[in-house]
Amino acid sequence: MTATDQVTVMRVEELIAARSNGGLLSATIPHADTVHCTIEKRTLVRVVEGLVNELQARFMISVGTDQRPVTGNFAIVQLFSLDREHLYVLLESPVSEKDPQIDSITGVVAGANWAEREFQDAIGVHPTGHPDPRRLLLADDWPEGMYPLRRDFPYNYRPPHAEDVHPQMREPPSGATVMPMGPFFPVLEEPAYWRLFVEGEMIVGCDTRLFYNHRGIEKLGDSVLTYNEIPFLAERICGICGFIHSTCYCQAVEKAAGIEVPRRARYIRTIMLELERIHSHLLWLGIAGHIIGFDTVLMQTWRIREPVMWVCEQISGNRKTYGMNTIGGLRRDFPEETKPKLLQTLDTVEKEAIAVREAIVGDTTLHARTKGVGELTNEWAKKICVVGPPARASGVAIDARIDHPYAAYDELPPQIATQEAGDTWSRVLVRVTELLESIRLVREAMAAIPDGPICAEIKKGIPPGKVGVSVVEAPRGEAIHFVQTGGDNRPYRWRVRAPTYPNLQAMPVMVDKANIADVPITLGSLDPCFSCTERLETLDKRTGEVRVYSRAEVLDLSRMKTRSGGAQ
Amino acid sequence: MIAWIIKSFLLCVLNVVTALFLSPLCEGIMRKLRAAIHSRIGPPITQPYWDLLKLLGKEDLRSTGGKAYASLPALTLGSTLLLAALIPMGTVPPLAFAGDMIVVIYVAAMSAVLIMLGGFASASPYAFVGGSREMMMLLSVEPILAIALSVGAFKAKTLTLAGIQNWQMQNGPSISMAIAGVAFFLALQAMAGKLPFDIAEADQEIMGGPFVEQSGSRLALLRWAMWVKQLVLVFLLVEVFFPWPYFGNYLVDLAATIVKVAIVLVLVSVIDVVNPRLRIDQALGYYMRVAFSSLVALAFAVIGK
Repeated sequence: MTATDQVTVMRVEELIAARSNGGLLSATIPHADTVHCTIEKRTLVRVVEGLVNELQARFMISVGTDQRPVTGNFAIVQLFSLDREHLYVLLESPVSEKDPQIDSITGVVAGANWAEREFQDAIGVHPTGHPDPRRLLLADDWPEGMYPLRRDFPYNYRPPHAEDVHPQMREPPSGATVMPMGPFFPVLEEPAYWRLFVEGEMIVGCDTRLFYNHRGIEKLGDSVLTYNEIPFLAERICGICGFIHSTCYCQAVEKAAGIEVPRRARYIRTIMLELERIHSHLLWLGIAGHIIGFDTVLMQTWRIREPVMWVCEQISGNRKTYGMNTIGGLRRDFPEETKPKLLQTLDTVEKEAIAVREAIVGDTTLHARTKGVGELTNEWAKKICVVGPPARASGVAIDARIDHPYAAYDELPPQIATQEAGDTWSRVLVRVTELLESIRLVREAMAAIPDGPICAEIKKGIPPGKVGVSVVEAPRGEAIHFVQTGGDNRPYRWRVRAPTYPNLQAMPVMVDKANIADVPITLGSLDPCFSCTERLETLDKRTGEVRVYSRAEVLDLSRMKTRSGGAQ
Repeated sequence: MIAWIIKSFLLCVLNVVTALFLSPLCEGIMRKLRAAIHSRIGPPITQPYWDLLKLLGKEDLRSTGGKAYASLPALTLGSTLLLAALIPMGTVPPLAFAGDMIVVIYVAAMSAVLIMLGGFASASPYAFVGGSREMMMLLSVEPILAIALSVGAFKAKTLTLAGIQNWQMQNGPSISMAIAGVAFFLALQAMAGKLPFDIAEADQEIMGGPFVEQSGSRLALLRWAMWVKQLVLVFLLVEVFFPWPYFGNYLVDLAATIVKVAIVLVLVSVIDVVNPRLRIDQALGYYMRVAFSSLVALAFAVIGK
């Protein structure tokens, strides 16, 4: 830890102490980059104001935890990031069971909107003064007063069947009509319901109902699975950035338990993460093209993307969902014989990606459809705490790889691409630049990869009651995993926040006064991933039974799939 | 007199049958071409026939019970076939009479109007938006068609298509007709419902617009009508605006016409495949400029060029 960091930590602690006006219960530094302060809940809003206004802290996520078996209270943890100072600030406020409410900070940080609604649904702590305290993640037929993330709530509870349920939606302003988009809509690959209020073809407002895919992955993590099973589930949170979630989870546990991951494993993680970014950005370019009716872009980028998938399959045995991560490192080494194939693939992909870039940069019709479309100003991007390419396209230069280096990014810092205009075209440019940058990073990582073990030996086990925060810069923005360790070989609380979660909250601002025709591409330009945001688990539609796959079953299934001809 | 009636009738049947049964093949070839540019293999060129056959055999599902809604697809196809009987397709126009040019302008607009009405007749908001977009496109494209044909009428001093065609063959290319032809070609892209102007359908935005509530045989008829319209308008472009080279031998001329039609269809599908969809306001602005440019053709016609 450098001296400046010490100074920052001091400043943060002093500010919190001063702002909380004697309400600071404890302040610890669990890791070199984390400050953990416990404050009385009545002082929360004042402290948050101080952090945001004086230290330019960026809100990340709220974590509601049922700590009643340990401390007798609920705990609401607000997680902030001081990006330039590479510091996480955890603000914990105990909330007693008798008075389950806490002042809402959405008035100070607009981006806390969903996070507060989420802990209201999951733990039953009401955010007082919240501007829109409707249900967020629970299904519409879920009974009132049932809080699934409380410790005494069984993971396999099945609520009674309900009839005639419908989401609580806002009514359109007078003079406007409702144009529904979803829950099933051609360009949304996953269910999401947008109610667009339109006058003619102009949007004058919108309302959303999401979380149709919510299946309670976090609950499984703290009640059924064990530490080393969760990476497999985490990987299945998303079909595109699975490795990102499993890496992020493993890093959070490793940090909580103080496990040092070997250098070689860190490099391999970096390579796989960047390969995921490459194929994800190519996938996104194709989908964006498809949304505006440009199917040639879709077909060509997906053709370019395919060899990347083949290389991933050669490395891990799977095109996607590699199953390589485990606590302490990796389960599978990078095969040396794949190196030439990977380098050759990168050369081809780079050449073709540059050709695509030249083609789209020169296409005036494409400019007409993307320039000035879905504008997100720098001010709003900061207010809503948008992350990833949408933030960088609005001039907010944040990137978890630089701000909170993990894996091997401390030795391989990426160049961040930023744009100022904040429109869809800027987001296209940012992603195309990142794609080429990722190719460079994989090449450098391949050149610098050291020999050695790929997994640390864990001798002492994972101590309970520790906290670990980990972020990974996914193609869509930073993914956050928060782990509080527990005693029975599983986390006490595992919180996942996917990058689409904050980014989607910017939609109402971005489509305001836009044309209907621009809504799909605006939404598409966020590269939304609903299953990530909503954290899925399999559900058997025929019987309605929730089925949780054990590690052995998952392995068997994937082997069966591979044998049945899935391999290239 | 009777011989003339029989001849006209046979020619009408010939044109209608050709348009009806050749247009899916043209669509099949265009799909194959699109697939080639996409680096795909693509469906066999007979696929549109199978599509029609499958759709025609499907259950009739209706969201609204209105007579207008149920009969519009058949009327739409009928209007495009009527257009086929009015224009020259390798021969003289079968239904030729004084002033048939004016009728062509109206009949060419009919299918779009009917699709628009079908959109308004269904209960879906997507169909409603699609219908209003169809109307805006029609209003911006129709004047171009009218101006382009008026240039021909002005030059040939006649209101019959056959007269314009004859004048063209006798007098050879002229600047005004070339400009009018190009303007017509640009309008063709929208009239055929191709990218970047398939705004009224816009699958990704409004799920097919006026077609969203159509299924089974009614969807088949609408699709068929669009393909017929596309082919017939290409024939109109080729026969009236670019009838040369004229060899005098009927078979050779027919072969030349077919080659020219194929070239135009290829151009239409290449433009379709290399462009994203424009927004309705952008498309209106574009066709506004095309319409003003086509007025230049009229000016040239006045000074005799």
